[in-house]
Order: sequence, then structure tokens, then C-alpha cells
Amino acid sequence: MRRGLIYGLKKFWSEVFSGDLLILFCSIVLAVTSISSVGFLGDRLKSSMLMQASSMLGADLVLRSTSEIDSEFLSKAETNNLNWAETTTFLSMVITADDNLLTSVKAVTDSYPLRGELKIVNFNGIQIEHSGSPPSGKIWIEKKISESLGLNRSDTLSIGNKNFIVDGIIEDYPDRNSSFVGFYPIAIANIVDVEEMGVIQTGSRVVYRKLFSGTQDNLNRFEDSLEAIPANIRLQKAIEAGDNLGEDIANSTTFFNLASLFTIIISVIAAMMAVRRYANRNLLHTSLMKVFGASKSFILGHQIMQLTLMIVSASIFGLILGYALQHLLLSTLQGIINVNLPPPTFRPVIIGFITAVFVVFATAAPYIKILSETEPIRILRNDFVIKLSSNFIIYLVAFFTMFGFLGVLFQDIKLILYIVMTLICVTSALYLIGKLLIYVLSLIKFSNGTGWKLGLKNIVQRGNDSILQVIIFGLSLLFLVVLAETRTDLVDSWTDTLDEETPNYFLFNIQEYNLKAISDYLEDEANISPDFTPLIRGRLLSARRPGSEGVNFDNLMEREANLTWQYDIPQSNTLADGQWWANADEVAEVSVDREIAVSMNLEIGDELNFSAGGKTFSASVSSFREIEWQSFSPNFFFILSPAAGRDLPNSYITSIKVEDSEKLMNKFITRFPTISAVNLEAIIDQAKSSISSASLAVQYIFLLTLIAGILALIASIYSNRDQRTKETAIMHAIGASRAMIFKSASSEFFILGMLSAITAIIFSTVLSSVIFYQFFDLIYSPNLIILGLSFLLAIGFIFIAGVISIRKSIYASPMITLRDS
Amino acid sequence: MKNLILEVKNITKEVNSPEGPLTIVKDINLTVERGKPISLVGPSGSGKTTLLAIMAGLDLPTFGTVNLLGSEITSLDEDKRAQIRGQDVGFVFQSFHLMPRLTALDNVMLPLEISGDPYSMDKAQEALKKVGLSKRAKHFATQLSGGEKQRVAIARSIVNKPKILFADEPTGNLDKKSSDSISDLLFSLNEIIQTTLVLVTHDLFLAEKCKEVYELSEGQIL
Repeated sequence: MRRGLIYGLKKFWSEVFSGDLLILFCSIVLAVTSISSVGFLGDRLKSSMLMQASSMLGADLVLRSTSEIDSEFLSKAETNNLNWAETTTFLSMVITADDNLLTSVKAVTDSYPLRGELKIVNFNGIQIEHSGSPPSGKIWIEKKISESLGLNRSDTLSIGNKNFIVDGIIEDYPDRNSSFVGFYPIAIANIVDVEEMGVIQTGSRVVYRKLFSGTQDNLNRFEDSLEAIPANIRLQKAIEAGDNLGEDIANSTTFFNLASLFTIIISVIAAMMAVRRYANRNLLHTSLMKVFGASKSFILGHQIMQLTLMIVSASIFGLILGYALQHLLLSTLQGIINVNLPPPTFRPVIIGFITAVFVVFATAAPYIKILSETEPIRILRNDFVIKLSSNFIIYLVAFFTMFGFLGVLFQDIKLILYIVMTLICVTSALYLIGKLLIYVLSLIKFSNGTGWKLGLKNIVQRGNDSILQVIIFGLSLLFLVVLAETRTDLVDSWTDTLDEETPNYFLFNIQEYNLKAISDYLEDEANISPDFTPLIRGRLLSARRPGSEGVNFDNLMEREANLTWQYDIPQSNTLADGQWWANADEVAEVSVDREIAVSMNLEIGDELNFSAGGKTFSASVSSFREIEWQSFSPNFFFILSPAAGRDLPNSYITSIKVEDSEKLMNKFITRFPTISAVNLEAIIDQAKSSISSASLAVQYIFLLTLIAGILALIASIYSNRDQRTKETAIMHAIGASRAMIFKSASSEFFILGMLSAITAIIFSTVLSSVIFYQFFDLIYSPNLIILGLSFLLAIGFIFIAGVISIRKSIYASPMITLRDS
Repeated sequence: MKNLILEVKNITKEVNSPEGPLTIVKDINLTVERGKPISLVGPSGSGKTTLLAIMAGLDLPTFGTVNLLGSEITSLDEDKRAQIRGQDVGFVFQSFHLMPRLTALDNVMLPLEISGDPYSMDKAQEALKKVGLSKRAKHFATQLSGGEKQRVAIARSIVNKPKILFADEPTGNLDKKSSDSISDLLFSLNEIIQTTLVLVTHDLFLAEKCKEVYELSEGQIL
């Protein structure tokens, strides 16, 4: 074995550069590049999401309640070496000598925030150092407050009984979602001043939070020590929030994983063909070595060393390319991610390396066995072809190894099963089609002398080789077409969410008596007919399951709830379960956002108790809805039936699309000073930028799969190039003209290409519809342009590449070709 | 007592064919003395190459035994037979079987690299010199003429100084001039490197240069 290893070491680079191992090398590089780029990206995104999630909470773990939280939790945190901070958030009027403003006041301890950054600037915009909370008697305010109340540095304002000196402007703070979500500006004070303010009374809307941070082990120990947390306290963890990626990123990541999976499968197909050619061409070499005394272990050593060097060099190359591609993807996605990402871990490197080992093992191991067992007598028989019939086991081994590995790698058994099923169906279909083609062609009596007839005859004569090529062409095309369709539809679905009609303004605080005047104004000034949606400020108090008392409803306590009532389901909502109200004016019912329903453990038929406008009432859950939040229309977690909501006090909200918005909206605000108008353009621009970034990133990854697909097609075409070259030379030698040989080859590749392309297109529609539905929540409708283009390009590529592969032998002297072969 | 290098006893080789078992060679007995070249002649399909393969340990007979260089190779496994071939046996083939992507020198070095000989390059250059091709050492196999390819193949077969050299139709693919040159080379090497030549050929003129000539017909020695 040792001698074989040394021999393999000596011959490696000459084998790679001679071309026999080059396609295998490229296949491994592509597979490693693909999996590592997606791996590096995923790895860094995961860390980033965790950082963002911690930043969103301002901590790693938070206890939140609307009543005071026992301080025993703080001593438990200290016992477990955790850092802690406290915040108390409530709504209060901020009062100056001339004016006042309803404000969300956040009172914090010095250690706030534990994660994320609290940025405070002076009135000149220069960042100032701080210890986490303003000193007692001083306050930091958002710019909106200083502008509304005309405040400057060192001016005084009061909250309740306490006067404060304005000490800085809040530029950014981490836990935005902890305050009352809405439109109230924020002020940060020291927690020691809360009592003196005297604004927190019984029934006040206050949120108390205790924040904790530390190592994951310490956090786990702390959580274990908490035993039963009272029902009114919610536990929030960054590690869970980190799973909730933005939809664009989540869909991009799904696409990246899918593309990565397809790239690996196609690379394996390319590697299979490359290894087959390599093994066939190495049969002479191996037989000769056997004749000259090489043992089985010598051959094994030689092959193992070559493939090991191949794995190492191709992995390094692939990992470098993968890291570079990941950088490109990240810089493309920077607009969406918008954070400095931590460096990746070594996991993608290890996975990339294992992928290379797997690609080589799945494709080459069976051939190594065949080569090591080569009989030296082949030399005397001039028998240097590995028969296809003896390769069945090889492909079976490769097939199961490949999917075993992919199952472990992607941890998505459902996806892998769909792909395995598709592969079995498509391979069987392509095999039967190939057999049928050969049978039909063999029945035709071809008269000699015409090039294209000769090509058809060649397909019959090549038999199983022709079938194998149809299968390889077909499978490579299938995955490319599916990915091309997925990419196009995914990007289209993103773009469709923000069309020209996407509203750019929200108007709220609209009272009943304003409706007509606003409608008329908008109609006259901008030809806009707004749809007003009732907005009821309420609170979900409790839930009950009739007939099953004692059911535990999660995340229910003290849920602030903006409610509305509607006759019809809003355009941007779809019914996920249950029924829209049949008797809207008679029965008190409620339709709930599906995600909220799941998080609260709700079922159709449960009864929800609300309070709104000083009334408490109950409504039966009649349906769950999927909400398209990107629609920029007013959307609600809870929609009441008219019978439940019509008589509740409400204001109205609407969203409108305004051209030349600044001018019109300035006039509007002057005309309707009590109406609040929120400009969404910045958010829409950000969403548009996210979509174009995600689309571009998707294109890069698709390009990698496309290259792998082209490589597989080339590998398949070149797999029997030697045989074709020899046949061409013989035909030439016995008098066939170049034109005839060209026509023969053209017709052969055209027929093979067409059959593969038709089958791939048909099956791609099946696989695409499954993938769209199962993984992207999209309804698949065949994209005829993509399918048509794929069909033509596939035939064109196979035809041109095939003809190019034998071009040299058509124009070379047949004597030279035969002598060289 | 004769100094035998090869002894073939009752060799029969049968293979399966669509028409049933087919006997390629039947009940062959022959001996080869050290240093005395022999030839096997006969028409195509007479079983010459099959017999050569069995004698050289490239194939196993259905029945019978072969004693090569003192070892009964028919009872050895493939790796043991390979070891004997690597140490003491040389081969020349009708189709040359040079590796097209290797230079002449690399082709000649092949048997020595397999045996792990540290002086493989020097010995290969020496062998090429013996066959008169030292100037073509860096040429690839595809850049050589038929006669030159066979000379390289001969250099490769003698590079490990084999005790016995099997040549299967060594002039079969060559023109008259090259054929004469190659046959002269083979017989001169027989003398120079003290090897024993076992030759399979159609060419009666070449066969008659050997000390003994065995004629095969339908798998049997006449």
C-alpha cells in the first residue's frame, strides 16, 4: 500500500492536468463552494440574528409583567453569575411651561442595556458617554419630544410630581418592542425617580421588565432555578427570538439551501460521469501495473492517494471560493442585515470538507474497487471498457450514500424524500424513454448514405450508453429548470408585494365626524378614495374553551389588542381555518391571526374575553387568517364580527397611496391637525432595497448551480468522447465525408438533447409545484417563458457541446486519430 | 538435469460461451530451459495468447499446473503472482500498451516505480539506451512511430532485468523493416541481459530464430 501511496503522490498533478481528473476536481470544487458559501452565510447570519435578537430584547433573557416582579429573581441571577438590569415603562404626559405631550417613559437602572447599544447625543448631534441611565433628576428624550415641545439642552420638563433637566437626545436604543408599540415618543429616566413622579397608580398601564445576560450555561442554570414562574410573568429569550428571521431572509435562506442541495446533486452527477471516464481510461494503466507486478493494495494505495489529494486540494480551493462568495452575498444582503456580522465558525469548513469526502466516496469508491480487482489478462484481450451492466451496483451505492449524507447535512427529511422520489421517477421515465427510443429506431430500416440516418443508427448501436446519456442530461436539466423557476417566481413574489399601488401613508386618529371631510378632501386634491377601517383600542383579558375548563392558553395575559370589525375578510388576508361569519349582524365572533392563535394555543370555538371602551365582552373564535403583513394595509390580529364590534367606541384608520406626497400631506395636516399621518416611504424604500438585495443574492447562488449543471452536461458528453472520436476516425477512413460525419453527430446529439429536455421540463413542473407549495408557501403556475427558454437552451447546449467535443476528430487526419487512440 | 525456468503440465483452459463451455487450450505440456528461447506459433484462434497468459501468470488454467521460476504459480493468489511478475518477468505486447500521457522515460520507469526502486530513472535511461532510444526519452508515446513504441515497450520489459520475457506478437503491428529491427533487438537482449524469451508469433521466420518451436492448432500442440 505504501508504494502505491507514494506512486499516487507522484502522479497526482499530471493526472489532474491531463484532464482525466479535472472534471472530478471541478465537481468537488463546485459542491464545496456551494455548501460552504451557504454554510458560512448561514453561520454568520445565525450569530447575527442572535445578536439582533439580544439587542431587540436588550438582554439574553427577560422577565416581563404588567405587575411588579419579585426582586428574588435578581438574587437568583446573581447566584448564577448573571448581569441584570431593570426597566419600568409607562405612558405619561411630559409637561413644559407651554405645552405637553403623551410620552412613553422608560425608567431604567444604571446597568441598562445589557445587550445592544443605547446611543445618546447632545443637541449638536455629538455622541455623549453615559453610564446606562441619566443621573437622578435628569432625562434623555427623543428628538420628536424636543421638537414638539421646543426643548433645548438643560431645559426643564416635568413628569407627574418630578421635574427633570433635559440632558441628551436618544438616538438609538435596543429594546424598542418593550415599550407600548405605537406612535408615542420615548423618554428615558433613572428608575430611582419613578416613585417621586407619582404617576403609577392602581390600574396604570405599566410594563415591568427584569433583564439578564451571561453565558448560555449560566442562563440555563438560572432558568432551571426559576421553578414555576407566576402566570402574569412572561419569559422572553433571545435564542428563541433569533429563530424568527425576516421573511425575505428566511425565503432567501430556503432558496440558498435548495440551490446548495441541487448543486451538490448535480455535482455528484458530474463527478459520476467524470469518474466513469477516469476509470475507463485508467483501466489500461491499472492492467499494465498489474502485469508489471502491482498488487491489489498497490492499486488501492495509488487510487486512495490520488483521491485524498483531490479531496484536500479541491476542498481548499472550494472553501476559499465559498468564503469569497459568502462575502459577495453578505455585501449584497447588507441592506437587509445591516449589522456587523461576527466571524464564521469552523463548522462550514468541516462540512465543506466532509462534502468533498462524500462526493468522492459516493462516486469513486465503487470504481476504485473495480480498478483494484482488474485482471491483468485484460491487457492481452485489449479489453479496457468497464461494462455499464456491471455498474448498476455502483450507481445504487452512490445513490444511497448521497442521500444518506444529504439527509444528515440538510436535516430536512421531507425535502430529501421528495427529491429521492423525483429522482427515482425521472430516472425510470428517462430509462424507459431511452429504451423505447432505441427499440423504435431499431425497427426502422435505414438506407445508407445519409448522415442523420447514421446518427440515429449510432444511438441504437450505443444502446445503454445512449440511455445513460439521456438520463444524465435529463437529471441535470431537471434540477436547473426547477431552480430557475423557483428563483424567478420567488423574486417575482417579492416584487409583487410592493407594486406601484402600495400605500405610502397611514392616517389614524380619524373620528367618525372626519370621515366625509377627509374623503372629499382626498378625492378633490389627489383623486384618492380611502377605505376607512374601524380601530378599537382594547385588551384581551382571558380565553375559555367551552366544555373543557382548565385549558392552558399561552402568552395570553395582558395582551394589548388593537381590534377592528369587518363584514368581509380584508384583501390582504386569507382564511386558513374555520369559516368567515355567516351571520355577521347576529353572532359575536372573532377571527384571529393564525400565528397568534398557534402561540396562544387557541382552537376554533374558543371564547375570548375583551375589554374595550369601558366594556367587557366575549366573542367566539370562528376562523384563523393568514395575514400578508407586507401589504402596508391596516392589518389586525383580531377582527370582530359586526355584531361584536359595531357598537364599541372606535376611531378609524386608513392607508393611502399619495403621489407628490410631501406637498399634499403638508396641506392635509394643516387642514386636519388632529389626524396623525405616518409616512411609510422610508420603510417601503427599505423593503424595496431588501427585495433587490435578496434577489441579487439569489442570482449569485443560482449561477453556481448553473455552472454545476453545465459541468454535468459536459462531463456526460465527454464520458464517451474517446469512443466517438475513434468511430469518427474509422468512418472518415472508410470514406465518409466530413459533412456526413457532422450530420450524424448532430442528429445524435439533437435527439438525445430533445428527449432529455422534454422529460426534464415535464417533471420539473411536478417538482416545482411540490417545492413551491411545501417550502415557499407559493402557488406554482408554470412559467412558460422559463420552460420554453430552458427547453431551447438545453437542446442548443447539448447539440453545440456535443459537436464541439468531436470537432477535432472531424477535421483531424483519421490516421493520426487512430494512431493516438 | 535440465535447468528449467518454466514447466507446464496438463494445462487446459475452458471458458463459457453462448454455445456452452469452449475449450481454448487442451492438455498442454511443455518445458522451457533457462536461456533457451522458445516460440509458439499457430493460426489465429489456436490458443497461443491464452497459453502465454497462463504461463506468465496473467490468467489461471481450468486444469493443470504451471511452475515458473521454481514457484507453482497456478496455486498462488493474484497478488503473489503479481509479485513474481514484478520481480522476474517481462512482457512485450503486440499493441505496445504504452501510456499515452506519459513520456517514453516515464513508461519505462513504470515497473520500477511499482517495485519502489530508488534508482528507477537511471535504470530506465539505461534501458532506453539499450534499445537505442535515449534521445526520445522525453517524447510522449503519441509522438513515437510504431517501431519506436515497440522499442520503448521492450525497454520497459527489460528494465527490471527479468529472468523470463514473454512477447506476444511483438512484430505483429510493424512493417517489415521495423519488424526485423525489433526481432534482432529481442534476440540480442536475450543474450545481453541473460533472459529467456518466450515468443508468441504468426511469423515463422521469427519463430525459427528460437531454439524450440511449438506449433499450436485448435488448442493443442502438434
